[in-house]
Amino acid sequence: MVQLAESKEPRPRVPEKGWEPRIVALVCNWCTYAGADMAGTARRTYAPNVRIIRLLCTGRLDPLFVVKAFQQGADGVLASGCHPGDCHYVQGNLLARRRFTVFSTLMDFLGLDRRRLQFAWVSASEGVKWARVVDEMTQAVREAGPLATWAAPAATAPSPPLLDPGAEPRQAPSREESGRITAQLQETAANLLAEGKVSVVAGYASGSLPGQMVPAFVTAPEEASRLAWNERCANNLTVYLPELLRKKGTGKVGLVVKSCDARALLGLMRESQLDRADVVLLGVPCTGVWDGGRLALKCYGCSEEVSPLADLTITPEGARQGPLASARERVAVSDPRDAEIAALESLPPEARWDYWQRQFARCLRCYACKAVCPLCYCATCIAEKHRPQWIPAAFDGAGNTAWNIARAMHLAGRCVGCDECARVCPADIRLDLLNRRLALEIESRFGYRADADPSAPPPLTTFRPDDPDEFA
Amino acid sequence: MIRMSSPNEFAQEKGRPVKGEGWRLSEEEYERLQDPRSVGLDVRSEGWRVGEEEWREWLGTLLRSGSRLVAPVEEDGLSLFRAVSSAAEVSLRGYGNTRWSPKEFLFPATEALFSYRLLGDEVELGAPPADGGEQVLFGLRPCDAAGLARLDEIFLEDGEDPSYAARRDRTAIVSLACDTARPECFCTAVGGSPAGTEGSDLQLLPLDGAWLLRALTPKGAQLVPASAAGWTPASAADWRRAEELRLAVEESIERDPLSPEWAPVLEGAFAQPLWEELGQRCVGCGVCAYVCPSCSCFDVKDEGDAFCGARCRLWDSCTLPQFTRHASGHDPRPTRPSRYRQRVLHKFAYFPLQHGGRLMCVGCGRCVRLCPVGIDIRESVERAFSAGASGEGRP
Repeated sequence: MVQLAESKEPRPRVPEKGWEPRIVALVCNWCTYAGADMAGTARRTYAPNVRIIRLLCTGRLDPLFVVKAFQQGADGVLASGCHPGDCHYVQGNLLARRRFTVFSTLMDFLGLDRRRLQFAWVSASEGVKWARVVDEMTQAVREAGPLATWAAPAATAPSPPLLDPGAEPRQAPSREESGRITAQLQETAANLLAEGKVSVVAGYASGSLPGQMVPAFVTAPEEASRLAWNERCANNLTVYLPELLRKKGTGKVGLVVKSCDARALLGLMRESQLDRADVVLLGVPCTGVWDGGRLALKCYGCSEEVSPLADLTITPEGARQGPLASARERVAVSDPRDAEIAALESLPPEARWDYWQRQFARCLRCYACKAVCPLCYCATCIAEKHRPQWIPAAFDGAGNTAWNIARAMHLAGRCVGCDECARVCPADIRLDLLNRRLALEIESRFGYRADADPSAPPPLTTFRPDDPDEFA
Repeated sequence: MIRMSSPNEFAQEKGRPVKGEGWRLSEEEYERLQDPRSVGLDVRSEGWRVGEEEWREWLGTLLRSGSRLVAPVEEDGLSLFRAVSSAAEVSLRGYGNTRWSPKEFLFPATEALFSYRLLGDEVELGAPPADGGEQVLFGLRPCDAAGLARLDEIFLEDGEDPSYAARRDRTAIVSLACDTARPECFCTAVGGSPAGTEGSDLQLLPLDGAWLLRALTPKGAQLVPASAAGWTPASAADWRRAEELRLAVEESIERDPLSPEWAPVLEGAFAQPLWEELGQRCVGCGVCAYVCPSCSCFDVKDEGDAFCGARCRLWDSCTLPQFTRHASGHDPRPTRPSRYRQRVLHKFAYFPLQHGGRLMCVGCGRCVRLCPVGIDIRESVERAFSAGASGEGRP
C-alpha cells in the first residue's frame, strides 16, 4: 500500500498483545457455504476468526482474490468448495484444484508460509468438518503470527548467493559458420519475397551497439541483405506475429525462429490465436544464444538444434524443406536453474520471502516482461484495469508483488520458457526462476510440457478426475 | 463535509517552519532555483585533491549531520542509487553508471498527494507524509545531474510544483565526472560533457586513483566540511590532468551532434511515413521512460478502497498503451509507432521549441542499452531529421 503514515516499519512478525488471526474464507455457494450454514444451525461453536466470502463456485476463484485479501490485512486465506465429483457446475472445482495447486506452489516459492493458504473440500452436510477445518486453520495461522506487510525487506536482508552455472556445455558457433548461415538466410528470404510466398520476413539485423542484434522486418527482396544470424539473436520474434498477421495483406508472414521461439507458436496455436498456414517458419540451427558474454541459462538443457516446426531449415549449405538437424553431437546438461530453485527452496520461507520482496521492490512496472512475452497477447491486461483494480498501480511492495504474482500465474502452464521476460527486465528480477518453478510443478503433476501437441489444451483449462491434491 | 489541512496547517502539525503564503519560497531561494547554473560555475580557484578515504570520511560527516545520503550501491549485481546509512555502502567500483537514473529522489515513482479517510458521513483529507530533511545526491554522472536540471524546468519553471520544489530545495547534488564512456553514451551529442557541470553543486573529477573536488555553487560550497582545511589544494597539474581526462573521454564518444536547431524540421516531419518503420520494432513497454533521467510524465490515480486511501502521482510513459487513451475509449495515439514518435518528438522537437532550444535528452544512453528490442533514439532522431529536411514523403 502507498505509505500514508510516517512510519516505515513493517508490521511485526511477533504478535502484538490481543492480536487475533484474521482469515478470509472464499467458499462455494452450493457446498461449503451450506456446510458453514449447517454448522451454524447445529449450534456448533468454532473459531470466530473467519470472514466468509461466497463465490458461486471455487472455479470462480481468481488467485488475485487471495492476493487482495492478504494485502488488505488477512493473515490467512481458506478456499473451500464441493468434493471432487460433486460440483454444481460439474467441473468447476476440478479446474479450481489444478489452479489452486499451482498457485500454492507459487506462493510457497515466494516464501508465503504454507499455513496461511489452504484449501478444503467441505460438502453441504459437513458442518462438523467445516468447524474443524476453521479451528485447525485458525490455530495454524495463530502459530504463524501476523502477516508482515508486503513491502521491501530491510536493506540488510542478505541475498542468497547466485549459483555458478558452471562451464558452458558448448561453444559459440564460428564466425565463418554464422556468416554462411546468414548468406543462405538472406537468399532464402529474398526468394520468398520475390516469389510472393511471404509479404514480410521478420528476422534479425545488426543493432547500433557493438555486437547487438535486433529485430528487423524485411518486405522487399533487395532489403534481405540486412538480415543476419548469429548467437546474439536473442529476441523471440513470435511476439510480433499477431501484429504482423493483422497487417500482412495477402501474403504469409516469414519468421526466423530458434527452437525455443517456435514453442511460442505452439502456444498461440493451442489457444487459437494463429492459423499455422499463415506463417512460414525459417528455422535457424541454433547452438544457444549468448547473453552478457556467456551461454544463456535456458540453453544449457536444450538439445534441440532446429525446431521440429520449421518449414524451411537454413543450413550453411542452403535452405532445406522441413526441420533438419545437423549430424553434430549436441551437448546438453541439466538446467542450472534447477539447482538455484532447489537452493531457494531449502531456505526457510521468511528468507525466500525477503529474497523475492527485495527483487520485487526494484520492479519499475515498465511491463517489459509482458511486452516481450509472445503469450501475453491480451488486448487489455489485468494490470491496466482499474474498475475494479486488482493490481495496485503504485510502484511499491504491494503493487509490485501483486503484478509479479499475476504475471506468473497468467503464464502458468502457458509459458514456453523463452526467458525473454527475464532477459529484458531492467531490475534483474529472476522471472525465469518463477516461470521454471511453475513449469516443473505442472510437468510433474499434470504431465504437461510446453512442447506438447497444440491440440492438447493448456493444463490449467482442463483437469483429470484423479488429479493429485493434498487438500483437507 | 470535506476537510483538508492546508500546507501551512500541515507544516505546523509537523513542527516545521511555516512559509509565507503556502509553499512560496523566499525571493532569494526562488532566484537560486530559477537558474542554479548561473551561480559561479567556473570556480576554478578552489579545488582539493581528495583520496577515497577523504571523501568517505566527508560522506560520514554528512550522514552524522542528519542529511539523507543517496549514492550508488551494489545490489544483487546491479548498480543503483539508494539512501545509504553508512559511507562504506557507497560503491563506485567498476561503476559506469547506475541501471536507472536518480530522478526518483526528486520525483518519486509513487507520491501520495493527499490521503482520504471515510469517517461516517464525513471525508477527512490529510496531507501526505513529510519527506525528510536535507538530502545529498552523491556520485551522479554529469548526464544525470543535467537530467535533474531538465526536471527543474518542468516542475519549477512551467508553474511550480510544491512538493517537487520543497524536495529540490533541500537537495544538493555532487556529481562525479566520467573516466570512461560506454558504447551507449552520447552526452557530447546533446550538448553535455563527461565533466559537465549543469545541475551539480559540487563535482568530483577523476585523477588516476584520486579525485579533484570542486564546489560549483554556494550550496555546494556549504557542504565542504571544516576538515577541508587539512586537504591538499589541487595543483595546476591536477587541473591539467582532469582536463586531459575530460578531453580523452569526450573524444571517445564518437557521435555527431543531435542539434536543438533540428527541432522545427523534426516537428515538420510529424506526418512522415518513416515513423511507421522507426516504431515498428517497439513492443510498447515503458523501460525507456522509467530509466530516463529527464522523462517527467506522470499519471494521477487513487490507491486504496472506498474507506481510505490516497491520491497518488505515479510515473507514466508515453510508450505504454494507456498513456493517451481517453475515458471514452478513443486514443489519439492508437499505435505503437505513433506513441514512439511522441517520445522522440517530445525530447527533440517540442521541448526545445518551448524551452529555448534545450533538448530533453542528456545522452546517458540508458534507453539505448535497455530497450528490449534495441531501439536507438539517436538513430531515430537522425533519420527523422534527414527525412524531414529532404521533405520526402511529405503529404
